[in-house]
Amino acid sequence: MTPTASELLLGNFLSMMEPPPPEALGDFMQGKVAVTGMISLLCAQEAERGAEARLWENGAIRDLLSQGGAAIPAEADVDRDFSIAGLDRTNATLRRALIDLHIAVENAGDTALDHAILRFYVKSADMRRLDLPPLPAN
Amino acid sequence: MSLQDQLEAYLTRTGGKPAKVHGLSRIPGGASRETYRFDLEVDGGTRGMILRRDPTGSLIDTDRRVEFLAFRSFFDKGLPVPEALALEEEGAELERPFFIMGRIDGGKAQSPFTMPPYGEHAAEIGRQFFTHLGTIAAADPATLPISEAAVTPALDGCWSKELDYWEGVVNEDEEHPQMIIRAAIRRLRRNPPPPAQKLSVVHGDYRTGNFLHDGAGKIVALLDWEMAHIGDPLEDLGWAIEPLWSYKETHRVSGMVPREEAIALWEAASGLKVDPAAFAWWELFASVKGAAIWVSSAKEYRAGGFKDPVLGLSGWYTARRQDEILANVLAKLEGLA
Repeated sequence: MTPTASELLLGNFLSMMEPPPPEALGDFMQGKVAVTGMISLLCAQEAERGAEARLWENGAIRDLLSQGGAAIPAEADVDRDFSIAGLDRTNATLRRALIDLHIAVENAGDTALDHAILRFYVKSADMRRLDLPPLPAN
Repeated sequence: MSLQDQLEAYLTRTGGKPAKVHGLSRIPGGASRETYRFDLEVDGGTRGMILRRDPTGSLIDTDRRVEFLAFRSFFDKGLPVPEALALEEEGAELERPFFIMGRIDGGKAQSPFTMPPYGEHAAEIGRQFFTHLGTIAAADPATLPISEAAVTPALDGCWSKELDYWEGVVNEDEEHPQMIIRAAIRRLRRNPPPPAQKLSVVHGDYRTGNFLHDGAGKIVALLDWEMAHIGDPLEDLGWAIEPLWSYKETHRVSGMVPREEAIALWEAASGLKVDPAAFAWWELFASVKGAAIWVSSAKEYRAGGFKDPVLGLSGWYTARRQDEILANVLAKLEGLA
């Protein structure tokens, strides 16, 4: 799992709280502050869109599993916990089932379902996209 | 004892003369090792130096001896590469392994996330960037210091050695099922590339951000050889033009020159040809390798108590961006884009 927004914001706090040694001031500290700023900016996007992306992805995986005749794991048949962490737990179970299905689809040469899964990957990556504004060149 | 005291003690002992360290300062970048600049004063003379020390946690685990010997392989060979001076694999006075090299001043690195990274000098920087890479590819690794420490694969084993390694990283460090990376790895295994046309030194991380330029169109230092190894020369070219390093530009690679021009420059300098089918494999591999590094970063970020924001950003934003790239490449290879 990529770090969650809560972990990243906690990390920002921790990385700023620790007094740096003298040799880590200057350019290094400036770079560190810039990265923590970027993380905060992107966390705002994750707070806005993170749950929606996971809910969509979980539903889309269930559809693909049904389409491929694969069982939907009982513990992930529906989203019950709508926190990011809860949605991620369900997502992990569903992704494991999808990976198994995709391997079976490839081995069977089922091009139509293979392509449907590949299209889903594109959409999933786009739903989870974070938009980093371009930084000015130095 | 401060790092400065430790460094002075080491340099005094090994040099046999009193050594003073001035202006010791950590610099950003070089995420796999802590990197510091300092001035070394001995006998009234001063020289600019760089210290690269192993971190307690890192973006990638790499062999410092291979990195050291990679610098030595290309120093004074017509490429702007700093001189590697001393390697301490046991850490000596600095407690963690490190090496020291001469510093090349007057240059700056550019983040891949800047736009446009090289302004009016993009084309000139691009010409040097891909020509230097071709020069590295043309060299015979068997004649270079790096061959003392790096494994030499068979021509038909370059791809599997690299893919096995990076799949192993994903297996080891994955904390959430990586459906897109797994699909890409399976595709790479189903469609292996032809044997390498020759063995070359592969820089391993040759990209925007890992060289210094003078702001007026000249590349002054090729850095960050920590993933150097011996392998297929197409590996470096695939990595150098990986879309991740182009921010979101599609008309040129690495914010420098159009893709066709980059390949032509590399071919002219290396004397090698880019086989499109083989190169398609290495391009997809580059995205898988990137994804594996970001998976590893996320794990290391947690293991290190969330204190290194570079690991956090790499394991999160960069991982997501890499997923986008990988998913689109997989779709394109099936004619779905």
